[in-house]
Amino acid sequence: MNMRNKFKQATVSSDMLNKQKRYETLVYALHGDIYRYAYWLVKNKAVAEDIVQETFLRAWKSLDSLKDEKAAKSWLITILRRENARRFERKQFNLVDLDDVAIADDHLANEVEIEHRELRNIMSGLNEEYREPLMLQVMFGYSGEEIAEQLNLNKNTVMTRLFRARNQIKETLAKSNDNRGRKNG
Amino acid sequence: MDDLEFRRIIYADPDCDDQQLLETAQKDSAKQQFWSDIRKTNASLKKALEVSIPDDLAHKLILRQTIETHNKQTRRNRLFFSLAASITLVVGLSFTLWQQPSYIDLSVQSLAHVYHEGPHALQANENFTLQQVNAKLAQYGGHLSSNIGQVYYANDCEFEKVKSLHIVMQGENSKVTVFVVPNIKGYKTQDNLTDGFLTAESLELKNTRLVVVGENTQDVELIRSKLKQQMLFTA
Repeated sequence: MNMRNKFKQATVSSDMLNKQKRYETLVYALHGDIYRYAYWLVKNKAVAEDIVQETFLRAWKSLDSLKDEKAAKSWLITILRRENARRFERKQFNLVDLDDVAIADDHLANEVEIEHRELRNIMSGLNEEYREPLMLQVMFGYSGEEIAEQLNLNKNTVMTRLFRARNQIKETLAKSNDNRGRKNG
Repeated sequence: MDDLEFRRIIYADPDCDDQQLLETAQKDSAKQQFWSDIRKTNASLKKALEVSIPDDLAHKLILRQTIETHNKQTRRNRLFFSLAASITLVVGLSFTLWQQPSYIDLSVQSLAHVYHEGPHALQANENFTLQQVNAKLAQYGGHLSSNIGQVYYANDCEFEKVKSLHIVMQGENSKVTVFVVPNIKGYKTQDNLTDGFLTAESLELKNTRLVVVGENTQDVELIRSKLKQQMLFTA
């Protein structure tokens, strides 16, 4: 009896250790991606960090349900999106839109930087339903099918949204190029 | 592959490396241009979206989880502790109650015994002789020197797990009950106890306690003083 208890205890604590290791690996491997996703989802650093905290805490609690490590990223994104939705159930925050604030940028304002800043502004100006599929494609290289699965959408809907997102970007870029050209000229 | 299909695939998956797609692109420079534009935009977007990650986010995430786990464990430990404390309390209390017999008040018990027994003893109507009573008393090391009146009832009974003698005898006006209880260490008696209806008076003779109970206080006192003189104990 005693032996069995001891054995059981040892198994339990080694299970805990394994779980801890798995969790830490998950954190180190994916916290960057998940944070970026959160950031572009809510466009606010503090809120993004909060959501990431909640996401990983929830992930820890249900880590046993993650069977396939390859699916970890999409699993975490699912939790993150749920946490984000929950935030809106609790309280509607007053978020400052990115394009209203100057993004702190210490880099030299070279051509590439200007373009990136512009793209960030455009991205944050996109409607969430267009922004999210594009984020998945650009940041994580998800295919149309994978995006559909992740966002729980029909593949055709995803296609339409990707197309519109891209068109909006193109239009906005063209417009601003016109403006710049005019200003410079 | 027509233009529409080509664009659909590229929109959905710009990094697609499907052979047919590659061939289609190679044959048509406009298609190739379109594809490369999309890929360029994507590459720029990817770079643009690379916001800096807060310092130590990974450590914070692990810390938060460690604290959560610790708190849960502390809560569980606290639960075990309170459980252990409750058990200790219950064990302590029952131990105290177990010890209770040493504080038993024979006077109170006597009253309760009379009430509980009711008419069984009090309405017994035998007439024990002095010898019969003495035979019973002998077990308790006692002896009546002379007749002290009619004895209606004389029987062993259990008095808080102690074998005792229960006697009902005639006083001047009423029946009186007498308990002869071996003096167990820790028992106590009150010289005089009344609940307004029954009165109990006690008497300690050598190693035995006598409790006299009756409705009539005078009878109780009378019997008590008679017993004090006439009931003799050897030990």
